[in-house]
Amino acid sequence: MRNEDLIPAEEICVRYKVERQFVSSLYESGIIEIITVSETEYIHCDHLAAFEKMMRLHRELNINLEGLEAIDHLLKKINKLQKDNVQLKNRLGLYE
Amino acid sequence: MEFIDYYKLLEIDRSASKADIKKAYRKLARKYHPDLNPNDKEAQTKFQQINEAHEVLSDPEKRKKYDEYGKDWKHADQFEEAKKQQAASGGFGGGYGGGFGGRGQSSSYSGNFDDDTFSDFFEQMFGGRARAEGAHRGGQFKGQDFNAELQLKLSDIYESRKNTITVNGKNIRLTIPAGVENGQTIKIKGHGGPGMQGGPKGDLYITFNILNDTAFRREKENLYSTEDINLSTAALGGEIEVNTFNGKVKLKVKPGTQNDSKVKLKGKGFPKYKKEGQYGDLYITYKVKVPEDLNEKQKELFQELKNTGI
Repeated sequence: MRNEDLIPAEEICVRYKVERQFVSSLYESGIIEIITVSETEYIHCDHLAAFEKMMRLHRELNINLEGLEAIDHLLKKINKLQKDNVQLKNRLGLYE
Repeated sequence: MEFIDYYKLLEIDRSASKADIKKAYRKLARKYHPDLNPNDKEAQTKFQQINEAHEVLSDPEKRKKYDEYGKDWKHADQFEEAKKQQAASGGFGGGYGGGFGGRGQSSSYSGNFDDDTFSDFFEQMFGGRARAEGAHRGGQFKGQDFNAELQLKLSDIYESRKNTITVNGKNIRLTIPAGVENGQTIKIKGHGGPGMQGGPKGDLYITFNILNDTAFRREKENLYSTEDINLSTAALGGEIEVNTFNGKVKLKVKPGTQNDSKVKLKGKGFPKYKKEGQYGDLYITYKVKVPEDLNEKQKELFQELKNTGI
C-alpha cells in the first residue's frame, strides 16, 4: 500500500467539517476502513467516495448512523444484483 | 429546460407553510437522492429539480417573486424596475418597454451539477451559479462521481488495448487491461464532475459489460471448450487439431479416451488481469461421436469387433 494513498483521518475531519466521532462510527459500522500507521489513523483514498456518500446522506437527508448502515448494506446488495443481472443477460444472449 | 411548477414538483399547495415545504422536500429528496439511486439519471434530474424548488420556496423573498410572476418569471426584475420608474416619474401607465438588461443576483457557488440541469427560471431569476447552494453550503467538496458502462467483446479483451470513450462530451483515452472481468468496475481519478469551492474533481467509474462472442466459456482466467473426437481416435488414440483462443494447436489423444473426459492445456487460457504474460488454462472436454450412418464395410468391421467381445 502506498503511503500517498492514505489520508489522515484528522485532516478529513477538518476538510469536510465533520466530527471525529462520525468517522469512527462509519468505521465501526464497517462502511469505511481505517488504517493505523505509527499510531496515526488514516483512510485509504479508495474509501473516500464511500465516506463522502455517507456524509452527504447524513447532512442532506438527516439520516442517522443506523440508517446509513442499512443504506450501505442495501446499496451493496443493489450493486451486486445489477452486476448479476448484466452477467445473466450476457449468458442469455448466447442462447438467443 | 421548461418552466417548472415548484409547488407541483414538491407536491404541495400554494399555501404551504415553511414546515410543509421542508417536509415535502425531505420526503422527495430521500426518494430521489443520487446516492440512493446509483446510475439513475432520471432520479438525478428529479433531485436537482427538487433542490431548486426547495431553494426558491424556502426563501421568503424568492418565493414571493415566484408567486407573483409565475410563468412571467423572465421579466420579473425588469417589471420591478419598470414599476419603480413609473412611480418615480409620476406613475404613467403602460407597463414596461424593451431594453431588458442584466440578470438576477449571482453568488459564487459552483455546485455538483452540470450547467444545463437547472431550469431557465432558476438561472434567470436567481443567477446561473446560485445552484446547489442549499445542499453543500460551506467547505470544499469533491465533484460528483460519474458512472459509465462500456460494452466489449470477449475477443476484444484478450490483449490490452487503448480505447477512447466519450463521457459528458469529453473524450477520455484509456487503456483497457487484458483479462478484465465482466461486470468489473475501474476507477479513473479526476474525470468526474468539477469540485465545489476548490474541491477536487470527482472520479469516473467504468463498468465493463463483456459479451462472449466466442465458443469458449470463461471463468476468470480459465477457458472451457468441448471437442468432438471420433470413436476410433477415442479407442486407439491419435492426434487432433483443437482451437485455442489464439489459434489451432495439435493435441495427442490417449488411447482409451472416454466420453466427457477432460484435458488441460496449461497456459492456453485467458490473460490474467494485470499480470502481464500470465495466462490461465484451457480445459477441453472430449465428446466421443458414435457413428450413425455406417456403410456395409463398416458394419462388417463393427460386427467383427462385437464378436471379439467389444
